[in-house]
Amino acid sequence: MLLEFKNVMPFPLKDYKHDDTSVWKSEFAIEFPKKVLLNANSGKGKSTFVNTVYGLRKDYVGTVLLNGSPIDTLSIHDWIELRRTKLSAIFQDLQLFPELNVWENLTLKNQLTSHKTEAEMEAMLSLLGIGDKKYQKCGTLSLGQQQRVAIIRALLQPFELLLMDEPFSHLDEGNAKIALDLISAETDLNGGGFVLTSLGSYHGYTYDHELKL
Amino acid sequence: MLKKILFRDSKNFQFIFATAGALIGLTALLLSLQLIMDVQSFHSNEEELFGPNSVVIQKKVTKLTTIGMNSTEFSPTDIQSLKDKEFITDVAPFKSADFKVGISEVEGDGLPHFYADMFFQAIPSRFMDINVDWEWNEESEFIPIVLPRDFIMIINYGFAQSQGINQISEELLMAARLTIYIDGNGKKTQMIGRVVGFSHKISSILVPESFLTHANGIYGNGEIKNSSRIFITTKDNSYGELDDLMDEMNLDINKSAIDVAKIKTIIAVVIGIFGIASVLIMLLSLLGFVQYSQLVLSKASYEIKTLLRLGYSIKSIVNTFIKQLSITFGIITISAIAIMFIVKLFVVNTWLENNGINIEGSSLVTTIIVAILCFGLFIVSNYLNIKKTVNKLGDA
Repeated sequence: MLLEFKNVMPFPLKDYKHDDTSVWKSEFAIEFPKKVLLNANSGKGKSTFVNTVYGLRKDYVGTVLLNGSPIDTLSIHDWIELRRTKLSAIFQDLQLFPELNVWENLTLKNQLTSHKTEAEMEAMLSLLGIGDKKYQKCGTLSLGQQQRVAIIRALLQPFELLLMDEPFSHLDEGNAKIALDLISAETDLNGGGFVLTSLGSYHGYTYDHELKL
Repeated sequence: MLKKILFRDSKNFQFIFATAGALIGLTALLLSLQLIMDVQSFHSNEEELFGPNSVVIQKKVTKLTTIGMNSTEFSPTDIQSLKDKEFITDVAPFKSADFKVGISEVEGDGLPHFYADMFFQAIPSRFMDINVDWEWNEESEFIPIVLPRDFIMIINYGFAQSQGINQISEELLMAARLTIYIDGNGKKTQMIGRVVGFSHKISSILVPESFLTHANGIYGNGEIKNSSRIFITTKDNSYGELDDLMDEMNLDINKSAIDVAKIKTIIAVVIGIFGIASVLIMLLSLLGFVQYSQLVLSKASYEIKTLLRLGYSIKSIVNTFIKQLSITFGIITISAIAIMFIVKLFVVNTWLENNGINIEGSSLVTTIIVAILCFGLFIVSNYLNIKKTVNKLGDA
């Protein structure tokens, strides 16, 4: 998947002074599969970047292209198809269903894609240390536990690009490392790539490419 | 699981009010529709012969008429002015036989011997809503005849008693053949006739127009010019205008003939008003339901947005809503049909029976079709609303 930015500038960020190396107001292209780190301080537009590429925000000037097509020409139906087959995301606010339990949150996604078996899903839960929370309502989990549910959910579909918006903000370095290893392995299995936004931490991982804001 | 997410906290007061409103509205609508059709299915014998809005008019015979100062004939100007009336849809002057007619039994057909001088009249066959073959041609076996109902009363309770002959039933008279004697224009002939019906409305002896035209051509004396009786068909509910016309043209009319139609119209109007109120209740409850689904949608807006972000299609989300609403409104529709049926069977029919009114009752099919149409209207309007809202949430 080819992601291109051409002089993109979100309206809310237009008054900021951006570095020359920033992705805003510049041109770049990344051909995935690649593992990319987007490193920046708070308020520089990490979530804006993720939400823009995922088609949730349209408040910008310039052009974002996916595989050569400007994304503002995609219909809601195109986006839904992309989000089911090529584009996955972990949102900063997680977007879980608090009244559903962990297992229901996961199967809701897997029902749609039939990407993983139940055993594989259970193995992921155990690997990330929340195997015993399977039937607990997500609303009652800690933020760190919820973050791990959201990570697993994002992996229950095929993808060429996985967008992650500070997915480890509530995890300790040890758990973050385990999660990132799982994500990396699943990314390879899918033959895809990812963009990981971070507040400066590299989480002990070596990336193919780094973007700045 | 979609249902669990989307219909969280959805059983609230608004839902109960919308459901109750829809049930009451639909039941009232179906009941009034069914009652209107039941009332319309009530036919007098007259209507079976001539349709509901037909009456015979003639000018009143006055002292002046008797001494020859005025005529009861309708001039072409009179007929034209009737045709010009907005509420009159059809005008047909009676055609009269221009020859002498006599009638007697056919020996061996069961009727006692009798002979009577008669006359024939005809109205166009489009006014004759009769189940027998009213057409006549030269090959026809007999001349079909419609008699005034009073005729048989006179025979049975007047003539038969005074002459000492047996009374005859309507069935016997209709089964027996009659000999018709025709005399005019210097020619005489005999033909066979048969009574095919009786009429309260028309105090005349009716034969098919085709026969009268044919017979007048051969036996006619060329004496009759204008008709003195006219058959008219009016629009529904135009009894007021008819009354005015009677005064204006000094007309005579058989009022009792239109009473049944008049009562039926009044009942239909009353039920119709009830029906209109039911339609309004239905529409209000429909709005209530659209509002209810709007409330459910706005309560579930986070869930809908998230599902769209996960890759759930708009169609699957809309279908989940519609499936749930179809079940709810399906139950409402079936309940409304059941309540309507129960009320009709145990309340309305019992009341009618106790009051000695026999109505055949009309089929339930139309009412059920209307119920299904209401169901369709409900689903389509909700579908459009839900689809629009989900699309909007997807774009947001």
